[in-house]
Amino acid sequence: MTPSLRPSSAAEPERRSDDELRRRVAQQAAVAEFGREAMANADSLALAGRAVELVADELGVPFAIVLSPQDDGELAVRAHVGMPADFDRLEAVPEGHGSQSRYTLELAESVVSRDLEDEHRFTPSPGLLAHGARSSVTVPVGVFGRPLGVLGVASRRADAFSDDDVNFLQGLANTLGAAVERERAEDEIRAEHARLEAALRQASEGEARFREMADAAPVFIWTADTDGMVDFINRGWLDYTGRTMEEELGNSWEVGVHPDDQEGVRTSWWRALRRRVPWEREYRLRRHDGEYRWIVDRGVPRFDGPQLLGYVGTATDIHERKQMEQKLSEAYERDHQVAETLQRSLLPERLPRIDGVELEARYLPASRSAAIGGDWYDAIELDDGRVAVVVGDVVGHGLRAAVVMGQMRTAFRAYAMLEDSPAETLGRLNRLLMKESGELMATALFLLLDRDTGELCYSSAGHPPALVVRRGGEPRYLEGGRSVPLGTSEGSTFRQEADIVEAGSTLLLYTDGLVERRDTPLEDRLAQLSTVAAIADGELGDVCDQILGGVLGGNRPSDDVALLAIRPAPPAAGSISLRLPADPAALAQLRRRMSRFLQSAGASRDEEFEITLAVSEAAMNAIEHAYGTAEAEFELKARVAGGEFTAEVRDHGRWRAPREGDRGRGLTIMHDLMQDVAVSPEPNGTTVRMRRRVGGEGFA
Amino acid sequence: MRTVADISVAHHDGMAVATVAGEVDMTNAAMVSRELTKAISRHAHALVVDLTNARYLDSAAIEVLFDLSRRLVRRRQQLRLVVPRRSPLRRLLTLIDLGSVAALHDTLDGACAAF
Repeated sequence: MTPSLRPSSAAEPERRSDDELRRRVAQQAAVAEFGREAMANADSLALAGRAVELVADELGVPFAIVLSPQDDGELAVRAHVGMPADFDRLEAVPEGHGSQSRYTLELAESVVSRDLEDEHRFTPSPGLLAHGARSSVTVPVGVFGRPLGVLGVASRRADAFSDDDVNFLQGLANTLGAAVERERAEDEIRAEHARLEAALRQASEGEARFREMADAAPVFIWTADTDGMVDFINRGWLDYTGRTMEEELGNSWEVGVHPDDQEGVRTSWWRALRRRVPWEREYRLRRHDGEYRWIVDRGVPRFDGPQLLGYVGTATDIHERKQMEQKLSEAYERDHQVAETLQRSLLPERLPRIDGVELEARYLPASRSAAIGGDWYDAIELDDGRVAVVVGDVVGHGLRAAVVMGQMRTAFRAYAMLEDSPAETLGRLNRLLMKESGELMATALFLLLDRDTGELCYSSAGHPPALVVRRGGEPRYLEGGRSVPLGTSEGSTFRQEADIVEAGSTLLLYTDGLVERRDTPLEDRLAQLSTVAAIADGELGDVCDQILGGVLGGNRPSDDVALLAIRPAPPAAGSISLRLPADPAALAQLRRRMSRFLQSAGASRDEEFEITLAVSEAAMNAIEHAYGTAEAEFELKARVAGGEFTAEVRDHGRWRAPREGDRGRGLTIMHDLMQDVAVSPEPNGTTVRMRRRVGGEGFA
Repeated sequence: MRTVADISVAHHDGMAVATVAGEVDMTNAAMVSRELTKAISRHAHALVVDLTNARYLDSAAIEVLFDLSRRLVRRRQQLRLVVPRRSPLRRLLTLIDLGSVAALHDTLDGACAAF
């Protein structure tokens, strides 16, 4: 599998599809998930193994590796995916030249090699080259410019990695680094305690010397007798808790333990004592100023032969580290949930195929933006046959903005179905945004299009105006229906405006990233967009690309850009072709579109009613056939030619025998109103064909 | 767009008059049927259903009318329909022989005046 990453050519703006957006979300989810694992499991070797699997999966690369220096300074492989068996030897590069990993450790920053065959900064691993690697990325593992190792990936394609991929790798490496740091800190404390305990056990023969040593130690020290009663506590502990030796002896030291931790401390301590084994516990202890702080406390049994003499214990304040860990855990947990929510809201997302209109969209992320932006667009077909399109922009970046964007998109779909007017839909979105986020704002442009007549109704909440590009005419902006952005005030009301576009016109909706630049007035940018759009031609997708290329001039945008183009298909004279959901709710739309078609074909009022009714009856049969089938559709093709109306209604179910007084009536009506009605059951469905003369007073 | 029908009921001269305006299809036929059934009066000798402003009826709506006439026949009450002569519905109701179970009138006055 190829890493599916585009070459970053400077000449053309990078094109970002929904798929790539989805990939970024998946990567963020992977980092969050990895963070959760890292906080729960401190075994850095296992984590390194998990990290290489993750990056190989998410980036779709054959090679991934984690290296870190051994005691002698040599780099050792800690975990890998796809590395040749002889990699260790092959990593050795000629004298005087560092490997990519070495180079990364020296720089303490990420290193991207677009083409390993053309690399001068370091010597690529001959082993990797021999196995076909062409480009690679290495990032330092660890924090604060003190790398503990290197995480690397390689692809068989040249220039296979984007900035986002590097950010993703660095995110994982930072998490891995934090876990290694934590493990090291714990090891150090443990070693320190063990050293002290050994010294103290020796010293306990002479009481005075023991106390002297204990009081001088940088950690807390205590001893307990064979019943688990504390019989000594050093000065460090007493200074810390602000209590006297007398107040802490026996089991009264437990008073200082945080109430939530007391039970666990007591149980684990007595269990260890009973079994005469070492004890270790992290808990919160009250300091002299009343603040509860995390400490790690350890006790080891002292024996004289088989005889237990008691315990000697050491404890250290680990509050800062513990707090950082907790914050990290919470952050990872939050990110994880957010990323999951986001994935759910993004995954099913694709512009729908809607009969009678062409739709194209482009999404370009801002340059060097690791975070997901808040731009969105969508299009849906309403029950009444109109097409609703929306483009919106939640102010800000990052997961927060993206989550709100996901909510807005979902809500838009629901509200557009409920409300008849764009202004009302925006009003609902505004109230939702005020309730959900409080401080976030968003701009949005919502437009309802009647694809048959070109009638429009639109409403803009602080959003740049849509552009109408007429075939062979001057483009014009839809300047009306303007109101404040969403999220400004609970009581905002929204205006809307009606308009009509000529057949063959293209409507362009976009976010301000396309037309906003600090160095140019907005009017100039709008004029430029209009100029570029006027000369763009070809397929709708090509038009989008020409507009993006022409307006951005090959620069990556400084803000995210979403562009949505919609073009009603030119009406086919004398015929109509519809694909509708097999749902009774679609009947109203069917009638409306049939009526309009028949009117334009010159049918009389009676003919319009009767033909519409006959076709609807056939449609009702199709809908009944599909009963219980999710997402079923039926098709209608109708034509008026040479004074004759013909129609075909095709479904994907089996014809049911007419029942008396039920659908039987529908069949009777069809026969009454049409000259010919033929029902053809076919293997994949049923087709009803009907025919009658039109354009006169009578028939049959 | 939804299918919308407005139904109102009035009583005069020992007659219940239900006015159906808008469209009736399979999505709202059950609602229309309930409303019309409620309009059946204990005292009136006939129920008039005024379809002057009904723009669209489909087979489900027709079935409601047949059903209504059956209920009224059992109660020895009449069903009278007001359908203007120019209405596209007129031809349909004639074609499907609704005239055999209900009297068709051109105007509301005519329906109320009939014996």
